Amino acid sequence: MINVSGLTVRFGGVTPLDGMDVAFDAGTCGLIGPNGAGKTTFFNVLSGFVQPAGGGIEAFGENLLKMTHFRRARWGVRRTFQTEQAIEELSVYDNVAMVHEHSKLGSGSRREETLAAIDFVGIKADPSAKVGTLGAGERRLVEVARAVVGKPRLVLLDEPAAGLPDEETEHLGEVIRRIPEQTGAMTILVDHDMSLVSACCATTAVLDFGKLLATGPTAEVLRDEKVIRAYLGTEEVL
Amino acid sequence: MSTADDTTASTTTDGQAAPEAPAPGPGATRSRITPRNAIRPALIVALLAFVLLAFPSIFSLYYIDAWTQVAIYSIVTLGLGVLVGRVGMVSLGQGAVLAMGAWVAARLLFATGLPFPIVLLAAGVITMALGTLVGLPALRMSGLYLALITLMLAGAITVALSNINFPNGGSGFTGYNGASVHIPPIRRPSVATTDPAFFRYSVVVAILMFLLVLFHIRGRPGRAWAAIRQSESAALAAGINTTFYKLWAFALASFVTGVAGALVAGSFRYLNSLTFATQDSITLLAVVLMGGAYSMSGAIVAAFLLKFLQALLNDWSVSPDWLTILFGIGVLQVLTTAPRGIVEQLPKDLARLGRLVRGLFTRTAPAGGQAE
Amino acid sequence: MPSWTDVEQFLVTGLSLGGVYALSGVGMVVLYRATGVLNLAFGAVGAMGALIAWQLINHAGFGFWPAFAVSVLFGGVITLAYGMVFGPALAMRDPLVKATATLGLTLVLLGVMDLLWPSSGGASRALTVPTDNNTFQVGQISVTYTNVIALALGLVVTVITGLFLRFTKLGTAMRAMANDREITATLGVPVRRVTAAAWFGCGCLSGVAGVLLADLVALDSTTLTFLVISTLAATLIGRLRSIPITFVAALVIGLVSSELTPISSVSNYRDMTPFVLAAIALLVLNRRRVISVGRQGV
Repeated sequence: MINVSGLTVRFGGVTPLDGMDVAFDAGTCGLIGPNGAGKTTFFNVLSGFVQPAGGGIEAFGENLLKMTHFRRARWGVRRTFQTEQAIEELSVYDNVAMVHEHSKLGSGSRREETLAAIDFVGIKADPSAKVGTLGAGERRLVEVARAVVGKPRLVLLDEPAAGLPDEETEHLGEVIRRIPEQTGAMTILVDHDMSLVSACCATTAVLDFGKLLATGPTAEVLRDEKVIRAYLGTEEVL
Repeated sequence: MSTADDTTASTTTDGQAAPEAPAPGPGATRSRITPRNAIRPALIVALLAFVLLAFPSIFSLYYIDAWTQVAIYSIVTLGLGVLVGRVGMVSLGQGAVLAMGAWVAARLLFATGLPFPIVLLAAGVITMALGTLVGLPALRMSGLYLALITLMLAGAITVALSNINFPNGGSGFTGYNGASVHIPPIRRPSVATTDPAFFRYSVVVAILMFLLVLFHIRGRPGRAWAAIRQSESAALAAGINTTFYKLWAFALASFVTGVAGALVAGSFRYLNSLTFATQDSITLLAVVLMGGAYSMSGAIVAAFLLKFLQALLNDWSVSPDWLTILFGIGVLQVLTTAPRGIVEQLPKDLARLGRLVRGLFTRTAPAGGQAE
Repeated sequence: MPSWTDVEQFLVTGLSLGGVYALSGVGMVVLYRATGVLNLAFGAVGAMGALIAWQLINHAGFGFWPAFAVSVLFGGVITLAYGMVFGPALAMRDPLVKATATLGLTLVLLGVMDLLWPSSGGASRALTVPTDNNTFQVGQISVTYTNVIALALGLVVTVITGLFLRFTKLGTAMRAMANDREITATLGVPVRRVTAAAWFGCGCLSGVAGVLLADLVALDSTTLTFLVISTLAATLIGRLRSIPITFVAALVIGLVSSELTPISSVSNYRDMTPFVLAAIALLVLNRRRVISVGRQGV
């Protein structure tokens, strides 16, 4: 359970998040909204890269904002970014094991859990292959593996399917659906691909101008007039 | 990139993926030691043995001293290479760090009877402490600001050193006696008092420093540094305490440079502030960029460019200023075309040359065969 | 303890130096804002300009002012040439890379200067501005017209640049480019011409600063090249952004380092002033941790 109350972020003259109030339940939740709605800013607040001007976030009973960024990651906040971040010079194994290495888990189970994560996301390449040699789809899978290895508590996926062909998006969707049951973590998925969101997320929240616009079961939210208006900018579909 | 320089021994020797995931060792899938990937380390060992044993017989004392400088400065370029190539931090103050190490070593060598190896270690540790102290607040800054702070630090230390001077056997904190007429030379290790012996000593110390750095690169710090260089935010999101690892890199670079400073003291035997000019910190960066900041062999190439060419030109009575100009051009060339330096660019250029040559001999090959 | 006369006398030197640092700093900030390049070769260009002026005066019968004009022109042309040749190649890179590249230019210039004007131990060169000989008294202290010119130029350059950036088309274009080069280009701003103007202007200021510092400090390639550190400190305190703050910081740096001269216990360390001041300022101003985005280093 993540409770966001009155979250506000200001950069100079811009207010990307404006009194955001939302609760995320367990499982996989979608977070959608038009460009500039504040989704990535919200993720950046969760990751600890941005200090909010006001408001609070309570995650599984803990005050998230009290922890510094890397400590949150060690506590269990995992994240993928819009641009590729897997380390090219290192192998698949090292990329994933690194996250395990820097978490609070011991080295005893590292090998096992790293390979399990690599297996879970379905990477076909040899774990000892350098990430730089892999294609875009597999690199994304490496990033997802990094997000789910060990004991994650909150997995934030920021447009993981961007730029991927349909087949790989489908596979990604299957992986994302299974994250909560496999790891016990809660997942928040940000994406513009509505079929992916529909396929993976039981509930979805919609952000617009830094505020919560709608929240609820995904199918209902996607049909909601307010939401459609926010995306299209008109009341009637001409 | 050769396997000896890899951050991890990553590719399996036959390049084939096993049907099931192989059972990897902790931290990496280490390749089994097979004839094929034992060749490179064996060659390196052979080359080093040759250098240690044969060089003093081949080269005159003048050039042995030049090679000694190459060995010593390869440690400095190695440290800077870790900062620039592995972590992505540009330091324009390594010359000053070297001077600090030399100062500490000279002070200890005059004031105490400690054996040279202990002095080496002490110089390394003290320099590391000072470097870390200065580095800590600076690490919060972005790349450009860090570079500028280190540049100004270099200038400041040069001023300080030209005032307190290098120890020359005097007493007091600075160990400098301005009135001394007869200045004793800085003492050398008891096993290496002659120039050829000191050459061998320096090479051995350099090898040890390289091993120390290699150990870091292949271990947890090396992987964390690779993550930080790729993207600091992603590294933080992976749970890496980036400030800690950046500091560690700073500390490592300062330590090895401090040790090198002690070797400089033993090599030159008489030090003054002219030995360490502010400009040297910049030429250090220049040669590291030219040689290739990322690879360890690049560090040796950089030291060769810096010190051996200088000795060569001096021998031929050509002004060393030509080297300064060369290094300046080198920086511009590297930054605009080959960001990873000569060591990476040269094999690519040679490979292209090789393909061209092969193309000449396979004119009868079908179209689309050897086409470049 | 230094006497009050000493303090006042060094006030004059301090303000003159500060004035030169100010005009240098303003030049560097404008160039940075227009191109993202922090021109670390500023000092070296000025040094060579000063040496060329010296050569013309002492070995080619030039008068001072024509030689000074040549120095200024040299500074402008060589900086412009650098900008036109290497600017485009590095335009998309990080400011760190761009600044490091100017170090390449610095090394080339240092090498050329030492080749053409070797420091033959003993005979040192000197460059004197004719206005050194015109002095007037303010109470106990003597002020040369050079001092006045240095400070006045610093002030004038700062004010004119501020007005220029705010009120002229070219200046507004430069401010726009500091924000986003590509968007500015699509608005029809002649980006290449604006950049060229910035490079040339900064270069000319190098030439001016070089000659003045050669007079006020020393005509020595290394000294003049690394005096850029004082200017850098001022620009850093101004966050590479604010012209007024750079101006004030430059004056403070000049004043502090000069005023330390008569205090015998720290006099030799006065050259550490720019570093100390910049370090303090950076640590205070950059309290909030910057988390860099994207690939680090060069």
